[in-house]
Amino acid sequence: MRYILILTFFISMLWSADATLEVTKNVGMLPKLAIEDGSLIANPTGSKFHKMLSADMNVVSLFDLDESYASQSFDNPQAAGMHKDAVYILRYRLVPDGSGGYRTDVKLFQNSLELFSKIYYLKQSEMLVFLAHSVAYDINAKMGGGPLEWMKRKVLFVRLSGPRRSDIVAADYTLSYQKVILSGGMYGFVKWANREQTDFYYTSLNDYHPTIYRVNLATGSKTAIISSDGMAVCSDVSEDGNRLLLTLAPSDQPDIYLYDLRTKNKTRLTDYSGIDVSGQFMGEDRIAFVSNRMGSPNIFSKKIGESAINQVVFEGKNNSTYSTYRDWIVYKAREASSAGGSTFNLHLSSLNNNSIRRLTSSGDNDYPRFSHDGEAVLHIKHEGSRSMVGIIRLGVNKSFSFPLHIGRMQSIDW
Amino acid sequence: MKRVAYLSAVLAVLVFSGCSSKEPSIDATANNSVAGNASKGSASAQTSATDGSAVIGSVTNASSNSADNAAGTSSTENSGMANILFDYNKFDIREDMMASVKGNAALLKNKTFKLEGNCDEFGSDEYNFALGLKRANAVKTALMNEGVSADSISMVSLGEGNPACTEKTQECWAKNRRVEVKLP
Repeated sequence: MRYILILTFFISMLWSADATLEVTKNVGMLPKLAIEDGSLIANPTGSKFHKMLSADMNVVSLFDLDESYASQSFDNPQAAGMHKDAVYILRYRLVPDGSGGYRTDVKLFQNSLELFSKIYYLKQSEMLVFLAHSVAYDINAKMGGGPLEWMKRKVLFVRLSGPRRSDIVAADYTLSYQKVILSGGMYGFVKWANREQTDFYYTSLNDYHPTIYRVNLATGSKTAIISSDGMAVCSDVSEDGNRLLLTLAPSDQPDIYLYDLRTKNKTRLTDYSGIDVSGQFMGEDRIAFVSNRMGSPNIFSKKIGESAINQVVFEGKNNSTYSTYRDWIVYKAREASSAGGSTFNLHLSSLNNNSIRRLTSSGDNDYPRFSHDGEAVLHIKHEGSRSMVGIIRLGVNKSFSFPLHIGRMQSIDW
Repeated sequence: MKRVAYLSAVLAVLVFSGCSSKEPSIDATANNSVAGNASKGSASAQTSATDGSAVIGSVTNASSNSADNAAGTSSTENSGMANILFDYNKFDIREDMMASVKGNAALLKNKTFKLEGNCDEFGSDEYNFALGLKRANAVKTALMNEGVSADSISMVSLGEGNPACTEKTQECWAKNRRVEVKLP
């Protein structure tokens, strides 16, 4: 009886863990895929690319992936010896272009029959992981997988490196690629300025008053948008990129403002005497926001230009960050930790019927951000002193995390 | 029983190692990607829409640089002013902090200064920043009640970005939930 109880305990642990493990148990039902290096000369870049592509194909979640490395002639329809039992072979050939980049040939074989072929041109070898993301995206599309556009997007985050010190970093979603865009000051709250990811906003705390800047990635040029005593944050950008939802405190009071970039006019949208922050557009004429008007932080909504306030989330405590997509909301809620103290988990809820699904079960999870197609949720996960990028794929009920090895993440966007 | 405990521990390790196996094994640290990587070509990663060929361009030409402006707060000092501490998730001034507020007020009359609101590490979101601001505002109001002019006070919230203590203990977190006075 004791053995049964112990076994039951561990089985229950499996079921209560993040969605990742739940799907992993079904892996035997998926067709086996192996990735092979078809480069003419085996080299460290080839094996590095193999690891990157393997990580991506795990996220694609359409295959039972054999992660073992093998080389094989690029055009040979037969798998390498160790991959004889694989149904699918994904083979690549990296060819240096002589100017710091690679031409990369990719083929997908199914039972020795060529299913897919494509040539990729990578301009800079340091961006090798984006090549892997593009290949994985194409293979997923070829196989009819769910939308994965987010995989190719750039992730922007603020990394706290010490007291009054932080960096703004552009990265890929796995953090394999990282480039520091700004460093040496105190920054916060990064937000892409448009869908194309050509510009972004951030808050500088180096100026006498907190100031929101816009930076163009191509030129590095920087423009001050607005300052405010107390705090100044760009919380959201409208679909067309012309309107911003800001948190400002010109009269010592944090409230939400609508800022029109074309006219430079700002309109105060909330006037509660407590805390109103984190505005997000919900369509053209409605916003959601976080407020402590009921004692602790929770999520509310209102129509722009009207005074009526609606409560959006009815469960959880300290619901202080969230993201919306159509009729869905992901929010952070504070819960009692099994180890004592508190933990923060993400929950997915329908705005129509308030059904709730818990998305995380370990670590402190914060800053959820839906992908533009609603397929995935990006978030920050803290475990102990380590920060991670978390990706939850809602369509396949699977989650992944990618550790940041230096510093602590403050905010994130993609 | 010992054997069962051992097997259980092994099983637990397997369960948790299953989680960590999702992490990529590639690590590009930030130190390798700072200024000097000025890239060429287009500003965004692009891939053609159809099978055939694709071009992956550069992410950015922006390079890292130092702080935005000279008016940063790092060069300021508090000249012996006491920090005002707050309870978790609160922004009302505690009774035991009132003596410190009065002491600060006596030193701050006829001076221009900045109040910096700070928070512990539980929440890096806007709400936490706003909490820091409300703490600064509570101190501002208390100082005004002691005769300090409102016009001489500016405020900023630094959220969790300027911890006074970095250990993960209750005592340390309590030190970080504070308002500091900074003179120019």
